[in-house]
Amino acid sequence: MIVAERKPIQEILSMISGLRKILILGCKGCVTVCSAGSEREVMILATIIRMGRKKKDEPIELVERTLVRQCDPEFIDQLSDSIGQFDAVLSMACGVGVNFLADRYPKTIALPAVNTKFYGVAEEQGVWSERCAGCGDCILNLTGGLCPVARCSKGLFNGPCGGSVNGKCEINPDINCVWQLIYDRLKGLNQLDKLDEILPVKDWGVSSHGGPRKIVREDLKI
Amino acid sequence: MVEQKKADINSKSGAIVVVGGGISGIQSALDAANSGFKVYLVEERPSIGGVMAQLDKTFPTNDCSTCMLSPKLIEVSKNPNIEIISYAEIQDVVGSPGDFRVTVRKKARYVDAQKCIGCGICASKCPKKVADEFNQRLGKRKAIYLTFAQAIPPIYTIDRENCLYFKKGRCRACEKFCPNKAIDFEQQDETIEVEAGAVILAPGFETFDARLKGEYGYGRHANVLTSLDYERILSAGGPFSGHIQRPSDGRKPRKIAWIQCVGSRDATVGCEYCSSVCCMYATKQALISRDHDREIETAIFYIDIRAQGKGFDRYYERARSEGGVRYIRSMVSRVVENPQDKTLEITYVGDPGQIRVESFDLVVLSVGLRPSLAAKNLAKRLDIELNEFGFCQTRPLDVVSTSREGIFVSGAFQGPKDIPNTVIQASSAAGAAGALLADVRGTMIKEKVYPKERQVAGQQPRIGVFVCHCGSNIAGVIDVKAVAESARSLPYVVFATDYLFSCSTDSQNEIKKAIEDHELNRIVVASCSPRTHEALFQETLREAGLNRYLFEMANIRDQNSWVHVANGQDATEKAKDLVRMSVARATRLKPLLDMSFEVIPKALVVGGGVAGLTAALALAENGYQTCLVEKSEELGGNTRFIHYTEDGARPAEYMRELIQKVKGDPLITVYTRANILDYSGHVGNFSSTISVDGEKRSVSYGAAIIAMGGEVYKPQEYLYGQDDRVLTQREFEQRLAAGRNELENVKNVVMIQCVGSREEGHPYCSRICCTDAIKNSRKFKELNPAANVYILFRDMRTFGFREVYYKRAREEGIRFIRYEPERKPHVVEENGKLKINIYDQNLGTEIGLEADCLVLSTAIRPYPDSRKLADIFKLPLDQDGFFMEAHLKLRPLDFANAGFFLCGIVHGPKFVDESIAQAKGAVSRACTILSRRQMFIGGALAHVDEARCILCLTCVRTCPYEVPKMAEEKWAIVIDAAACQGCGNCASACPRGAITVDHNTDEQYIAQISALYKLSAVAG
Repeated sequence: MIVAERKPIQEILSMISGLRKILILGCKGCVTVCSAGSEREVMILATIIRMGRKKKDEPIELVERTLVRQCDPEFIDQLSDSIGQFDAVLSMACGVGVNFLADRYPKTIALPAVNTKFYGVAEEQGVWSERCAGCGDCILNLTGGLCPVARCSKGLFNGPCGGSVNGKCEINPDINCVWQLIYDRLKGLNQLDKLDEILPVKDWGVSSHGGPRKIVREDLKI
Repeated sequence: MVEQKKADINSKSGAIVVVGGGISGIQSALDAANSGFKVYLVEERPSIGGVMAQLDKTFPTNDCSTCMLSPKLIEVSKNPNIEIISYAEIQDVVGSPGDFRVTVRKKARYVDAQKCIGCGICASKCPKKVADEFNQRLGKRKAIYLTFAQAIPPIYTIDRENCLYFKKGRCRACEKFCPNKAIDFEQQDETIEVEAGAVILAPGFETFDARLKGEYGYGRHANVLTSLDYERILSAGGPFSGHIQRPSDGRKPRKIAWIQCVGSRDATVGCEYCSSVCCMYATKQALISRDHDREIETAIFYIDIRAQGKGFDRYYERARSEGGVRYIRSMVSRVVENPQDKTLEITYVGDPGQIRVESFDLVVLSVGLRPSLAAKNLAKRLDIELNEFGFCQTRPLDVVSTSREGIFVSGAFQGPKDIPNTVIQASSAAGAAGALLADVRGTMIKEKVYPKERQVAGQQPRIGVFVCHCGSNIAGVIDVKAVAESARSLPYVVFATDYLFSCSTDSQNEIKKAIEDHELNRIVVASCSPRTHEALFQETLREAGLNRYLFEMANIRDQNSWVHVANGQDATEKAKDLVRMSVARATRLKPLLDMSFEVIPKALVVGGGVAGLTAALALAENGYQTCLVEKSEELGGNTRFIHYTEDGARPAEYMRELIQKVKGDPLITVYTRANILDYSGHVGNFSSTISVDGEKRSVSYGAAIIAMGGEVYKPQEYLYGQDDRVLTQREFEQRLAAGRNELENVKNVVMIQCVGSREEGHPYCSRICCTDAIKNSRKFKELNPAANVYILFRDMRTFGFREVYYKRAREEGIRFIRYEPERKPHVVEENGKLKINIYDQNLGTEIGLEADCLVLSTAIRPYPDSRKLADIFKLPLDQDGFFMEAHLKLRPLDFANAGFFLCGIVHGPKFVDESIAQAKGAVSRACTILSRRQMFIGGALAHVDEARCILCLTCVRTCPYEVPKMAEEKWAIVIDAAACQGCGNCASACPRGAITVDHNTDEQYIAQISALYKLSAVAG
């Protein structure tokens, strides 16, 4: 899932300073699962904003709403009747949602309430970590299913580097060296020979280096 | 006394007398009452609670003692099958097992227990101040008193010795001010007789009288205290409200010393045994003192640190390292007071062998545990044998049976012990009594019949408000009539009134009448705390045909009149606010239904060692079918290899008999070469698949006992496995048991303790190895008197009466050499000889020992496949891989998962007699489930709105009981009503608000809060 984290409240308050009527818009997708932008988060954020503004004697009118997703036009368009009444929409979805709001409603200010962090997993309750970088050309078949693009601090393809100490990354001793993990795993799978092959230079053109990406599936188009 | 011949079933009584209301008696009473027996709980003092009520915090969790004990006290007082007879003593017990007649003398309290409502006005008016025994005479109480604030029963008692009226014939202030006319100066002692099938003795202990060790100056030097005195000083409810200060001048002490073994391990005062708990409580007191004030320096003078219990060594190591507690291995010969500033000078031998003098502001004597004179006299009256130290004598391997059949013992009266072991033994004693009376179970208990519940669904709320004066407790500050008046004007309130005491029987009847007369369907009582009184009022509702969840309480006493004494007007306004909030919540209350299901009266026992077999047999004795699952081919476990004990028992022989009994019992099905594959269901109704020799079978059961045992660590160190002369303690015992011949030529034996224990990776004490080394070395010396035995140890942990055998070993010439973990013994083979080099602390030099036989006291470890079993049953393991009980202190036999219990080495290393006691205790706990014909599910439970659930799994990860499960076919989480504990963790964590907990809904809270601000509720 896409993992996000709510922005510090002071940042949000200064973002909306001077605005009088705002829609706080949650999303029932990824950000609900990672407890960043669910209905409950919307309610909590609204309460804090109300209190913050009341303290400054600048009351604000807030409407709370949560869409099934903010990345599909059918859902975003549900706002079309009411969006005109708001000075801004404060989206608690990932950055995709904010973009899509901006795309669909040229006259409405679209603001982000969360920082979109990464594609990751829930390690346990309250802990998430990155697993995929969306690089556009998956090589996990070559690396025992563990991604050096997302999980090696240097994104090395033929690691590890000299900074791998006792299985930990030199960037931070809390980070596992993914190349150590790859090695251990391939050894366990009896596939160490896979490491004999030198991985060629990656084509970053299919990643963000090649500009905004797009998929067109002719077979699905109507 | 002549024992009569065994009574037949017709004359058997389904009642049990428990003597002593400390934690031991409380646990026995609760277990017995909850498994179908009437209990008379007889306590010598005016209230129950015992010494545990006096303690501040408890090791090794630093939990508050009162916070743990209070709920138990309330549970006892609420249990309809427990009758508390406090301020009373047992005079005599006649008759035979199953059919005793017990004479009890109830001392006059001079207060009518029926009328006293515990308001405390009498004590506030009483002019006579008396030294307070509960506070170790460091504070004062009145001549009419309650032992402590949370005392159960909450009935005042006049101390005749100090009462001015009894002494001088005038005063009677209490009588004058008592609002309920409860004082009765004419009251006389009363003797009653009760019938009981069994008696459990749990009279507890008293602390050693430190004045007998004159050299420490207790009673002469103001700043020398006993450890129990110091508990009261630490306690927030104590004489100094939890501020650590010196009795001499009230100053904060900078340096505090503890002296261990005062009245323990000391033949000069007739206490050769170890009191088992003092090392740990001193460590706790030192840690807590430093929690109070980081500047306090602490030092503990000791002989050996005995941290043999679960989690104790970690606690001790923490105290030593981060806790900053200084441990000094030296006994102190005297404490000298500086007459000017009352500081105390201690002279001791420090490392390396130098005499040092150090002064302290406060000295705490870690006093040992002794049986009380009253308990010894009781034993004499009942013809119960005592041991040489005056503790109750029990049979080897059976620590709950006294010399008199049908009379059981538990707790510190049987021997010094900590709280978890006391609780284990208490359950065990209840289990033993229950097994004796299994055929009359349920014959003496009450089952209350309630009228049919009135349907209120769809009705408009009709609320009744009852405001309580609580004597002058509330009415002295708050204008109660004005509060009732304002309640009358609130929406949906159709009736409001005030009572002097809402909890009195006549008020209860009036409430019931008001419910009928005014067709009330919601009740609000504004009075004291729901903690003590909610259940009482809910009971009244049920008796009046209302669902008990239609009740709401406003606490206008503890949270209002008591804290705003000086400001009656504002307090009255606050009371109106609180009542308005409760009324608003009451409008949203819904009746909740409890649904019943049949309990499967069968048990599952996992493990065929001594704990499992004992448990299976005890279950069968209690009349329950039991399925025992053992993974190996043979029953018997480790106990097969334990041939004798230090105190003369023969476990291996006992085991052979036990196996025969289990195999011959028609109620027990034994599966060997069997494994549990899965489990489903909930407490009272479980089922599992078992693979027996590869073949699958299914079993259903109401409760399960986990007793899969543990194993002896196979050492890697000290040339074990490389040299035949290096043995484990168990292997050495096999050779000793085989007879003298095998070891005839062995002239020098060296034993090394703590092999694989108390070290990195395994930082726990294996509890039994010190005693095993003593036992085996003495046996060896007996066979080869000329041989030499050296025991290399870190701390000798022969706790309790085992200390006596340690002393004998020293007298018999067995040599003890202490080593530090930083300088472990070094074992080498030189020219065919086995040499052990060790640094001798006393000589200050390395010495070499030659051994014909090196015996390693190896650790006890959990089985590696414990994890698998834990995963199947979803049970937790601790850091060391042993199973984790529900609470280290008070629930040592239960898992947090209802219906699962544990015993034996799965819980942690222990002796055979301890495993047996724990097994019987676990059975006693299981009987509280199996003895019920039906159980109820329902009440305040969590519900998932499946339409809103998006399977984010937050609830699955948050629930402490692992109840929420994924139902993929529904694409939603489901919560099993029978398993849900109603804690609400899931509901507060659910990011979509898809979970609600009955009786704690958002709607109800929003209504309540909105009422406070006089908003219209916007509940979603």
